[in-house]
Amino acid sequence: MNKKFKKTIEYLFMLFLACIFIFPLIWMIVSSMKPEGEIYVDMGGIQALLPSMDPSHWFETYQELFSRFNIIQYLFNSVFYAVMITAGSIVVNAMAGYSFAKFEFKGKKILFGLLIALLIVPAETILITQFTVAHSLGILNTRLAVILPLIANMFFIYLFRNFFKAVPDEIIESVKLDGANYWTIFWKIMLPMSKPAIATVGTLTFILSWNDYLWPLMVLTDTDKLPLQVAITNINTTEPVFTNQVMAILTLSTIPLIIVYVVAQKYLLQGMGGSGTGIK
Amino acid sequence: MNNIKDNQNFVAYLFLAPAFILLGLFLIVPATLAIYYAFTDYYLLTPGDRQFIGLDNFIEVFKDPIFIQSLKNIMIFVICIIPIQVGVALGLALLINKQRRGNIFFKVAFFSPVVLSLVVISVLWLYLLNPSEGLINSLLVNIGLDPQPFLSSPNQAIYTIVFVSAWQGAGYQMLIFLAGLQNIPSDVYEAGKIDGVNRWQKFLYITMPLLKPTSILIMITTLISAFKLIIQPMIMTQGGPMNSTMTPVYYIFQTGFTDRMIGYSSAMMVTFGILIGIVTFVQSKISKEDEF
Repeated sequence: MNKKFKKTIEYLFMLFLACIFIFPLIWMIVSSMKPEGEIYVDMGGIQALLPSMDPSHWFETYQELFSRFNIIQYLFNSVFYAVMITAGSIVVNAMAGYSFAKFEFKGKKILFGLLIALLIVPAETILITQFTVAHSLGILNTRLAVILPLIANMFFIYLFRNFFKAVPDEIIESVKLDGANYWTIFWKIMLPMSKPAIATVGTLTFILSWNDYLWPLMVLTDTDKLPLQVAITNINTTEPVFTNQVMAILTLSTIPLIIVYVVAQKYLLQGMGGSGTGIK
Repeated sequence: MNNIKDNQNFVAYLFLAPAFILLGLFLIVPATLAIYYAFTDYYLLTPGDRQFIGLDNFIEVFKDPIFIQSLKNIMIFVICIIPIQVGVALGLALLINKQRRGNIFFKVAFFSPVVLSLVVISVLWLYLLNPSEGLINSLLVNIGLDPQPFLSSPNQAIYTIVFVSAWQGAGYQMLIFLAGLQNIPSDVYEAGKIDGVNRWQKFLYITMPLLKPTSILIMITTLISAFKLIIQPMIMTQGGPMNSTMTPVYYIFQTGFTDRMIGYSSAMMVTFGILIGIVTFVQSKISKEDEF
């Protein structure tokens, strides 16, 4: 009996902790599924964490949101940026990693040392001069400006290098004897072999670019090029502000990430340090 | 081997080129420019009048009350977030590590805030913490407490941001701790059982030492990323009230991007960049000694 009691207490405690972590999410989702007025009427009680009693209200907010703002465009932008950055990141960083892993060349030690040294440069602190560079390149307010800076990543080059180092040289030698050149070896042999590394880098890059906020905010002025993250803050400040609509856009912008986390969860831990330490 | 060497050089550079061109353009050049601009009075709207002014910017930086305040704020943030977030993450991992029905649900629940972006958590908590009609204050009033000015009080705002950040990040670190815990071989615990250690001793003398590499890694990444705090204060408080949540990166962003004082902002970039560089360097030395 005593043991059962202890177990119940333990479960109640765990449930209490779980509530602290999930109630904001639940409130976010259910608030997007009820009329504005109901949100504030419900605030005092448990009803705050339940959607509207009338199911016909559930998707009304979303309809209003889509008619007021060009959500489809923002969604498309975010997906476009994330896909381009992810694909670019995989190819560019894998190429560099392959070079460091499998080639002997002049200046290899120096370039690799430079790469490691660059890890210390805190990118967030040089945002302003990154902006002046983008300005000189004449790419401000273009989609290219959002995409290019996020592609090359020292950490991912290092990750690919370590992965390729583990591939035996004999495989490359034997393919070379068959007459394949370096380019085909990379595309046909090395890249297909590195699926776990690609998955890790791809997952982390996708999350990183989907969540990027400051840089697009700085380089873009056209509203129709904005990614969702920047659009969220715009929607949150465009009068009149409706709480249920804000919660709807927050929910919408989270759905793709939920999918990525569910599909790619096993690759997330491998890429520790890239993102998701909570503060970034 | 020698005949293909020259060819190898060329091919190797070709493979490196895209990455290094991009790193050069968006990391090396901006970092170098920041150092150069720091010694000039570069104002974005009048680039032609740029003049070399020596150390003037740096002298100004150390006399700037807002910059000093931002350094103090970020120290408070760093000192609070490490024990809170890492402590909570370790606690959750230990709770989850026990065999129990429904653990998957608890794991998903604790991890769920990680899935939200920093912009989303900032906007969401802005509504939850609304002084008059937010959920949190309604809750406080319901259980008989006074409503709190979480984000509008200079004494509370930075701690509120600590709480929100820890709430989001703890779940991810919990997973890393969990992986560390599951890597501890069970025979170590069995040996402990034979020696008759109690639960507290088990935690202190077996779990903690074996978990040390994981803990160090987590503390270091938390430390480094905490220094770069900007989005939460930018969206939730705009650095206020009374600059109590102004952070160095946010202040650099404001002076450079909003006020367009590139020279002065560069001097702060260099100053703060060196500070983070030192921290990163010291941590890499310490962690090497610990061989993790």
